[in-house]
Formats: sequence, structure tokens, C-alpha cells
Amino acid sequence: MKRWQDVPAVPATAFKHIDFVADGEHPPEALFQTSGTTGDRRGVATPSRGRHLVTRLSIYRHSLIPPLRRHLLAGYDEARERMAFISLIPSPRVRIDSSLSFMVGAAADACARETHWLVDARGMLDDEAVKSVMKAAADGGRPVLLLATSLALLHFVERLEANPTPTLPAGSRIMETGGFKGSGREIARSELHARVERTVGVASDHVVGEYGMTELLSQLYEPMLSEGAGARGIYVAPPWLRVRALDPLTLEERPEGVEGVLAFFDLANAGSMCHVLTEDVGTVSGGSRVRLAGRALGAEPRGCSLAMDELMSAARGTS
Amino acid sequence: MTTTPSPEGVAQLADALRASRPHLARRSAGDVIASLGAAGQRFLDINDPLRAEALERLPDSSGLSAPMCSAVLDGMAADWTAERLEALVASELGSVAALDDFVAAGPRRVMAVGPTLSVQIAAGGVPGVAVNALLRSLVVKGPTLVKPGRGDVLLPTLFAKALADVDPALSDALGIVYWPGGSEALEDAALGRADVVSVYGSDQTIGALRARLPATARLVAYHHRVSVGVVGRDALTDEGIEAVARRVAVAVATYDQRGCVSPQLIYVEEGGFNSPGDFTLRLSEALGAVEATLPTGPLGTGAASTLQQARGTAELHAASSGGSVRHGKSAAWTVVFEPIPGPLTPVVGRFARIRPIDDATILPGILGPLASHLQTIAVTGLGPRLEEVARGLGETGASRVTSFEDAAFPPTWWHHDGRGPLLDLVRWVDLEV
Repeated sequence: MKRWQDVPAVPATAFKHIDFVADGEHPPEALFQTSGTTGDRRGVATPSRGRHLVTRLSIYRHSLIPPLRRHLLAGYDEARERMAFISLIPSPRVRIDSSLSFMVGAAADACARETHWLVDARGMLDDEAVKSVMKAAADGGRPVLLLATSLALLHFVERLEANPTPTLPAGSRIMETGGFKGSGREIARSELHARVERTVGVASDHVVGEYGMTELLSQLYEPMLSEGAGARGIYVAPPWLRVRALDPLTLEERPEGVEGVLAFFDLANAGSMCHVLTEDVGTVSGGSRVRLAGRALGAEPRGCSLAMDELMSAARGTS
Repeated sequence: MTTTPSPEGVAQLADALRASRPHLARRSAGDVIASLGAAGQRFLDINDPLRAEALERLPDSSGLSAPMCSAVLDGMAADWTAERLEALVASELGSVAALDDFVAAGPRRVMAVGPTLSVQIAAGGVPGVAVNALLRSLVVKGPTLVKPGRGDVLLPTLFAKALADVDPALSDALGIVYWPGGSEALEDAALGRADVVSVYGSDQTIGALRARLPATARLVAYHHRVSVGVVGRDALTDEGIEAVARRVAVAVATYDQRGCVSPQLIYVEEGGFNSPGDFTLRLSEALGAVEATLPTGPLGTGAASTLQQARGTAELHAASSGGSVRHGKSAAWTVVFEPIPGPLTPVVGRFARIRPIDDATILPGILGPLASHLQTIAVTGLGPRLEEVARGLGETGASRVTSFEDAAFPPTWWHHDGRGPLLDLVRWVDLEV
């Protein structure tokens, strides 16, 4: 084995069944779990959640902050005063097993002047807090960073459509992550962004998509703030993360611009498995710019034959 | 077929089908069987343009390869002849005459009456299942509205066409209409007019439908099933192992393993001349060889991606548990040897998991957790232990113990999921005076 590309990629599915620890000397400092819906196939929840044991949280912390600064705080003079964060992602205090909550918490510790957590552990919005925080942000007149999953953002917008509040000050930006996985709801991002602009007051070119997964400690971002509206759908990796699009049948690397399933080689995963094969589909250029095409839709129907994984969950349900 | 119908359209169709029943009820069952068989026969006649059309369009509509479609059509349509249908009726109801009039049955006389309207919601994936379903209802003189699964729309549609040519009056009792699964308004329009509802699908699908049925409607539920194979040590001789592996490979390969009759777990006994590990090698060679005659269907990106996840996860498990994974690369067959049971990830294509076992007589205990979903057990090489193993598995939940050769195509008159498919549809009338 001479090249990093030759290291076999671990399928993301394997994280549901096997704990990977590459740094046996060092006991894990954290256990992050997937939401339990990311493995959904045809709306059937698979029985187990993915687990990522993280041996050194310091690596995670150090790897998440620079890209977040670059893509979400660009054009803002942090030296003068830190930005305020509003989070629609549960706080790491109430969701200790969520890598996303950890990320927002670590970023808030490093970069935020103050952070308002507007949802509880299950992601339910606190109506009173929404009202008072939006009003205070508008009165303050200084840009804020709103962090949310797409689904949380949709719920937030619906709440504001029913009960309008003052909009966020100019220069505010939004981090949007996660899509609508498993929620049974799906609206076009462009429609969501139009409604965000009307209710929250943040224009589409200040809504930055983040791509991350529990199995990867690094994140990719849409370079909206540096490249403008044309960057929509493109996700940029940090220098220590390489992305390749692979032929889904042979796992051979596809040329630039040709769609394939995405494999990530993430040095921030040094304590577990660096090379991860996802079920997401996209094209790659330069090893670090990804255009996401969506999620591979999963298995074909298996007729009257019960897939073994569903069977086991059925067996568990009745026992 | 291309546009989704409206609830009103479905209701009208259901009413029209119900209206066809008085005429159908007055016809002789022998006459009905003759017409159904004449239509079914056309799918077996190699000179018939209808068969040619079916074979041309099946690969696209089912996702199976052309040679596999041909094998599936041959296997399925063999049961669509008048002779087989008559044998089915005789096997379940005692005689064809019982569908026309009272016949003697012990101390009383009995007559079997088919439903006024059976609504059948079939699953996709295995082409031909919807035709089997519609035949079961029509053969007992029950008009039927069939909603086929997405991958099985073609054959029932062509069958309806054939029946309209052969016997237009009988075809008035058959309606085929497709809509995407889970459309409650459309389903309710049909269900509300049915006295028998047959559903093929997942436990969730059936559970949801059950709650919405009129109290007077009978539900015939074919929920998802799983089948397993058992290779006894007597089959693992040097002379025999290759042929056994070939038969197991064909049972796994048929329908690209989508059938409820397709074995997914293969238990192989220790203690033979060849070990379960040896058999694993032979099975992978056989599945590779089957590609030449019955190739796997093409995989889309999503399916291919799922397959890579399954293979990669199995490889990781194998590396830490003394197992192995062999596969056909871009051909969608995979053989996993699991001395320690591995993670049950979603799988795609022909994906056989081989588990060594000390003795087949302990299988009923091992398969206990699958009891309510167990269906076919394909066996070989058990010798005199066959009955003991079959009895134990039957008591556990299996409804069919058969050979690997016959696993894929059960005979018309099988006890489908342990019951009589026609008995589930008819109502007996006892004449006691």
C-alpha cells in the first residue's frame, strides 16, 4: 500500500455495528451517536445508530474552528467584538452524544460573545425565548450567527410566519446543515431560503450550507460569503480532508466532474477511521470542492422478502 | 396506467367489478378455468406475440436481467394453465363442482362461494405475483381489483389484455389499477367496497391497512417473510458438493433473491467431508458461474451504494471473526461466511450469508426469533434426520420444507404461508337439510 487512496474506505454503515478505535493507548473521551434516522431506507428506520468513539476531543475542537471562522464569520471584525450566536441546535449540555451539538458548543466557546440556545434536547423551540432573543438581536443592531438544521430552520420560519418578530440585523448569517433526513418533510432549499429572508431577514447569499456527519470530525461549507450566490451547492473541504467520487459498483475513482458516491479521507479522524465511504452522491474537483447531488436512494424493493435488517428490528419489536 | 387514478375513478371501477359478479356466478367453474387457462397459456407459447412483449418489457419494469425474466416467466406461467388451475381448485376445495353447486361432504352438502369483490394489494419486486393473485380470485368466481406493486405492473396488465381477447365477459370481472403505495384516499375507495382484501407487503403496510378495513371485510395478509437454507453434512461429499452448491446458487439467484421463498441465510453443518468454509467457496464459484446463464440485474447508484456498504461492513466483521466475503464485484452476488453471526445490514442483489452449525436439529432454537416471519426452508443432505428437522422447524414457524431445486417456484397448490389461498377467499355454504 503506497498511497492514501489505497487504504480501504470504511462504509458509514459499519459505524452502526463496529466501534473503531485506532488509538488504543488513549481511552475515548467522547461517544457521538447518529440521530438514528440517517440510515433510513424507504422510510424504515434501521435498528441501530451509528457510533463514533472520539479519543481526543482536542483534535475535533482544533479542526472545527478554522473552517467555521472562514466560512461563517468572514467579513466580520472579530477583533473588535465577538459575534452573538443563536442556536437552533440543542446545547451540548443537553445532548452529550451529538457531535453537531459539540461542534456548536466548541465554536461558541471559541468565537461567540454570547449564545442563545432556543431549542430543548428534542429540538423543540422555546416560543418565549424566540420572541425575546429576536427582539434583543434587532435592538442590538449587530450581526448574529444563527445555527440550525434545515428542519429546525423550517420550523423556526413557520413559527415566525405565524408570530412575526423583528428581523436580524444586516450582516447576520445562517449556518444550515443536515437536510430533512427522516422527517417526512421536504421543501426546496430555494423556497426555504426565500421564506427565511422574509421572516428572519437574512438573504440567501448569507445562508451557508454545512456538510458534516457524525462519522467525520471535519466539516465542509458552502463558500457563500467568499464566493457569492454562485457557490450554492458547492462544499469546500479543509486542507486536511480529501474527497473523492467513486464508481458505486467498482469503487474506482471517477474523474473530476463525474458523479459518484463520496469517500472522505479525514485526518481529523486519526483516532478512529480516516477513510469513510458515504452513501452521498456528488462530483469533486481538486480533491476539496464537492458538488452534492443528494443521497443515494438505497436498496431496491425486495419484493415479498423481508430484508434481514428489517426482520431483526421486527423481531426485537415483538420480543 | 401512467397517470394516477382519482378516488372517484377507483370507486367506479370497484362498483363496475361488483356489478359483474351476478353474471360470473352463473357461469360454470370449468368454463371460467378454461378461459383463464387459455389466457395464461399464451405466456408459455414461444410463438405468441404476447409472450414476446412480456419478455421484451419485463427487464425494464422489473429490474431483473432478460434471462432471469425469461426463467421467472416460465416458472410462474407454468401455474397459469387450465390443468394447474383445476388441480389447485381440486386440492383446496375438494372439487371444481363445489364452486357451482352443493356437493356431498360427509353428513351435509357444501358449496364454495367466491367474494363479491376482492381487492388485492400486491407487492412489487417479483413479477408474476399479481397474476397469481388475480387468478386465485377469478378461479373462485370472485371479481377482483388488483393494485400491483411498482415492479410487477406489466404482467397483470398483459394478462388482462389476454383475458379480454379470450373471454371479454370474464375480463369484466378483472380490474388492474396502479397507484403509488400508501395513498390512503385511493386505497379507501377500493377497500370500502371489498368483502375480501388481500395484502402483500411489509408488516407496517399490513398493520396500517388492517386498521382501516370495514369490520365485515376479511383480511388475507401475506406479510413479509424470510426463507433459509439448510445444507446437511451428507451433502458435503467430494462428489456431491459441486452440484449442491449449484442448486443452492440457483435458489439464491432466482428473482435476484427478492422472493419470500429466496433463501437468505444458509446453515451448513459441520462434520461432513467438506467443511462449511469449503462450501462457501463452492457456493461463490457457483454464483459466479450462474452469471453466465442467469445474470444479476443492473444496479442503480443507490442500490450499488447500499451493496458497497453491506459488503464493506461484512468485510470488517469477517476480518475480526474468522469469516470471509466473496463477491462478483460489479455483478451483484455476495457470499459471506459468518462463523460468528455478522451485522444484518440492508443488502442488495444475491447476498447469501453462510453460517456453520454443529447439527441441523438445533435450528428450531436458533430460528426462534424469526418465527413469525419464517417461510420456506430449503434442505439437502439431512438423511434420516429430515423429518425431525422439518417437524421442529414447522413447530417453530416455517410453513414449507422443500428442496433447493423447488424452492423458488412453489406448486400452485402450496399452503402459501401455511394456509389455503383459495380457502382464504371463499365462503362455505352448508346445506344441512
